[in-house]
Amino acid sequence: MSGVFAVTTRTVPTGTVLAFAGELDSGTAPAAHGAMTKLSLNAGDQLVVDLAGLEFCDSSGITVLVSAHNLARGAGAGFALAAVSRQLGRTLDILGLTGLFATYPTADDASAAWSPAGSREDGVV
Amino acid sequence: MIRAAGETENAADDDDPGGVAPTFSALLEDSAEDLYEHAPCGYLSTLMDGTIAKINTTLLGWLGFERAELIGRRRFSDLLTVGGRIYYETHIGPMLALQGEAGGLALELRTAAGTQLPVLVTSTVKRGSDGDAQLIRITIFDARDRLAYERELLRARRQADEERDRVRKLASTLQQTLLPPVLMTVPGLQTAAHYHPASVDEVGGDFYDLFPLTGGTWGFFLGDVSGKGAEAAVVTSLIRYTLRAAAVFEPEPISVLNNLNTVLHERFLAGDARFCTVIYGSLVPVPDGCEITLASGGHPPAVVVRADGTARFLHTPRGMLVGGVPNASFTAVTTRLGPGDTLLLYSDGLTEARTTGSSDRYSEEDLLAFLATANATGAAEVIRVLTDLLRGFGDGVEDDTALLALSVPGSDS
Repeated sequence: MSGVFAVTTRTVPTGTVLAFAGELDSGTAPAAHGAMTKLSLNAGDQLVVDLAGLEFCDSSGITVLVSAHNLARGAGAGFALAAVSRQLGRTLDILGLTGLFATYPTADDASAAWSPAGSREDGVV
Repeated sequence: MIRAAGETENAADDDDPGGVAPTFSALLEDSAEDLYEHAPCGYLSTLMDGTIAKINTTLLGWLGFERAELIGRRRFSDLLTVGGRIYYETHIGPMLALQGEAGGLALELRTAAGTQLPVLVTSTVKRGSDGDAQLIRITIFDARDRLAYERELLRARRQADEERDRVRKLASTLQQTLLPPVLMTVPGLQTAAHYHPASVDEVGGDFYDLFPLTGGTWGFFLGDVSGKGAEAAVVTSLIRYTLRAAAVFEPEPISVLNNLNTVLHERFLAGDARFCTVIYGSLVPVPDGCEITLASGGHPPAVVVRADGTARFLHTPRGMLVGGVPNASFTAVTTRLGPGDTLLLYSDGLTEARTTGSSDRYSEEDLLAFLATANATGAAEVIRVLTDLLRGFGDGVEDDTALLALSVPGSDS
């Protein structure tokens, strides 16, 4: 039932970029959660979840995004989403999460906008 | 056995190469006659009228008869059970006469001791050089193992069927415990609800309820837990009881959701990463209707269908899904229902259904447009037209769908 899903982690000067590609659903969410447990986030870092390659995201996928947000918050790091599709944006809107997640067109844009001292971009509500 | 044969062969190689063939042959099979008599299957030859002419030792052993009791005295059909005899005479005999052979027949033989022996029978007609039928040759395989195997298959199949029925019954029973058996009647209001399960095998995660609070006020809610199955059902149950308890403790809708968020988020942190979306409402009767306050946690907006047929959303922007984050914020909206007005809560199984014959999904806007033209007045009527709509989507409804409607009876009814 679950399609192809890939998760890659890369380190950037501002922190970590976690890139999800393919279909994020109940079948593939454990792989995404698994990748998150291996992250080491420092206070003042930024965690960007790059969704440029994401083709599908159901409620299990939303849980992954919320968990990633909580993980960053717990570590004192910032959190942002990059390349949110129109459909996912609509879902996040209904779920009341647009105010919780800072979103940017690309992961690079998210990194460029990151300033550890600022509180606007870190998604703290 | 193989090693012994090899040694013999080697020994023969050294001494007498010419003696290999007869020795090896003797080890493999004594003779065609012995193979016939003691083959691992039964052999039987009959005259064309079925009279037994020849029978091998293997078959005699299975049946427990003496050779002399059968040869020239009994017919093959005499060895069969009554049912088998009728089948033989009406089907197998004619098939042999027509086609000269009949194979793969499952029959039962009667032994001398009176027991029954399940067998598989293959028959061919032997013809003489002039083409005339002379004999019927019958090969008989012991089918006791096979019969046991088939019985086992049937038993396993029956068990699988029973298991499936049990799972479905469990799912539907569990589902029923998550919903009020009968929706309560609020004095002066009409109420109606509908639950459409997407699967008979799995418990869905949608829920709703309506219950009295103090001073003539009422609480109600409708929501959707992420995920399905038993684990989601546990959370659904927790949510129902938490909402009811929280409403008694602090009835203001946003407070109710705040309390639910605290309870669910503890579970979320403990590893059961599930959230829910829900609209919780309080209802206070007023002259000619009721005052309603809704708080939404990440749920699609409720709809009000007014007495004049217009339909519009009760937007609750930025109300967050419940349980995902600590200190989630919720949004409230207030409206008044007058005579003929209906409030509808629904889950996204409806608004995300695939519409017939396309990959498009239904939407909140489609729902609003539908209600604006459906000309449905009152809770029961709104639920009825939506139930019909869902039925029309058929398999397009991929998720469970819950509907709850409250209305103030019109002045003319």
